[in-house]
Amino acid sequence: MFKAIIYKEWLKTRWLIAGIAAVGAGMLFYSFLNLAKVVEFRGAEILWSTLIAKDTVLLELFRYVPAAAGVLLALAQFLPEVQMKRLKLTLHLPVKESVMTGCITCYGLVVLTAFCAIHALVCAVLLGRWIPAELVSRITSTMLVWYLAGWAAYLWTCAICIEPTWRLRIVLAALLAALMGLFFLSPVPEAYNGFLPWLALYTLASAMLIFGGIERFKEGVQ
Amino acid sequence: MKRISAIFITLTAAAVVLTVGPKLYNLISAKPESTPFTLYSCVIHDFTALYQEDHDYKFMDRCGNVYGDEVQPLFYASILASRGMLPDSLEGRKVSLEEIERNNLFITMDPRDVNKVIPPVYLLMESIPERLELQDPEEAFVSRKDGLYIYNMGDNTLQEEKTERLNADLRALGFTFPARCIEGNPTDRKDHDEGYLLTDSEDKLFRIKQTGGVIRADYYPQADSLHLKNLKITEFENHATLGFLVTGDGHLAILKENGDVTVTDVPMCPEKESILIIGDMFYYTVETSTPEGENYFALKTGTFELVDTLSRTYEKSFSMPGISFTSPLHSYVKPHF
Repeated sequence: MFKAIIYKEWLKTRWLIAGIAAVGAGMLFYSFLNLAKVVEFRGAEILWSTLIAKDTVLLELFRYVPAAAGVLLALAQFLPEVQMKRLKLTLHLPVKESVMTGCITCYGLVVLTAFCAIHALVCAVLLGRWIPAELVSRITSTMLVWYLAGWAAYLWTCAICIEPTWRLRIVLAALLAALMGLFFLSPVPEAYNGFLPWLALYTLASAMLIFGGIERFKEGVQ
Repeated sequence: MKRISAIFITLTAAAVVLTVGPKLYNLISAKPESTPFTLYSCVIHDFTALYQEDHDYKFMDRCGNVYGDEVQPLFYASILASRGMLPDSLEGRKVSLEEIERNNLFITMDPRDVNKVIPPVYLLMESIPERLELQDPEEAFVSRKDGLYIYNMGDNTLQEEKTERLNADLRALGFTFPARCIEGNPTDRKDHDEGYLLTDSEDKLFRIKQTGGVIRADYYPQADSLHLKNLKITEFENHATLGFLVTGDGHLAILKENGDVTVTDVPMCPEKESILIIGDMFYYTVETSTPEGENYFALKTGTFELVDTLSRTYEKSFSMPGISFTSPLHSYVKPHF
């Protein structure tokens, strides 16, 4: 059953995943081509001094990509279910609805995590040619909050799609916008280091919005 | 689950209202506030505050007496010299424009620069470059648990021999790794390079400086008992000081080039206060300010003895309480009420 559910999710999202991967790869290619040219023309010293003296991690182009990917992935997974009224059918399958919803949501989170992990790995390997591990670690720890924004955007967008009433959908959308503001509040590298574990816990806890929405949907709240 | 999710939404909405509401209110009700530029005068031996009168700038002392630029002849030396009004002597000493300009200095410290995650990688300059002018650094050092590691930035390679020699020199001077506080100013836009001041894990004070490709380490035992928590390398044109230090009990201390350390009576906390130090041939004016008010201290140049103080408390304007995730006192994102 789970294999079938995951296959169904794959069919719904494969083109989007390919698109996100292509955009991500394109941005990576552009960013690193840019950095390679800077190194070729001005030497790697400029990367070191910029990273040390300025509030940048050089890869800000990618900042909003995980959040955008999270929103799009959630829409691709849940919008057809809701629009074509397939969610009711999905919830009538012989699996507990919390397990079913959990499985669908986990699929999205795994895709997002894989996307972010590959991105972080490629960045770390490529940057490691020019700068020491301490600066690579500074860049990747700064990017963690961007990845977490992707998770939050995904979970909240899922909840908005599943929510049966427009009134609460609008409230959730407004709260998501405010939440995204929090994730991108400071451009200072590693500014979120201390707060990140709490933000991660909050983001994980927001998965309960999806299960709450499913219960309301099953009760037929209009 | 339905109830828990309703509580979760309510709590999130409350947090958003408590964050955005007060922020909006405080933005709408914000009024311009400024405090006058204040400096200790070597002419009247009092603090003077700058204010504008009929499109002209005047200075006022604490008794309300009004003066022109001549009350701050060292700060406005070039203006006074262009008007032919620069005095020949001050405080019983002959002065010249060149000497005044060489001894004028200022330095700032901001809590946002102190309270932030600083990468343990530091650019290493050559203090006596072949072509005389300071050049962009080509090397950097990384502070790790067991030593300082010198890298050639161009190809990201470790300079093993130089690293071993530096760490051996530091250990021979009694340095215990890891370094706790490292402070320098690796830019070519300064008069000269003095390298880095650093404290070891036992708060002992050292300096490393690269001269002719060789990194020299110095130890300053006079600072041993001070438990230094902040360092600021000065690199002033007059070489009068090597660094400003903040002691463990929160006082400004001055490190001279010969290694002498003078602890002043100026209380200082760079983690919470914005600091401005303006110095000249005769006096240093130290300003420490917080959101509540500002304090001024006048120190005699050379001996750094406290000669005068001034305090101002800001008028309390109503600020709606709420949750904020950023602060003028640090560069972190974290919630506070």
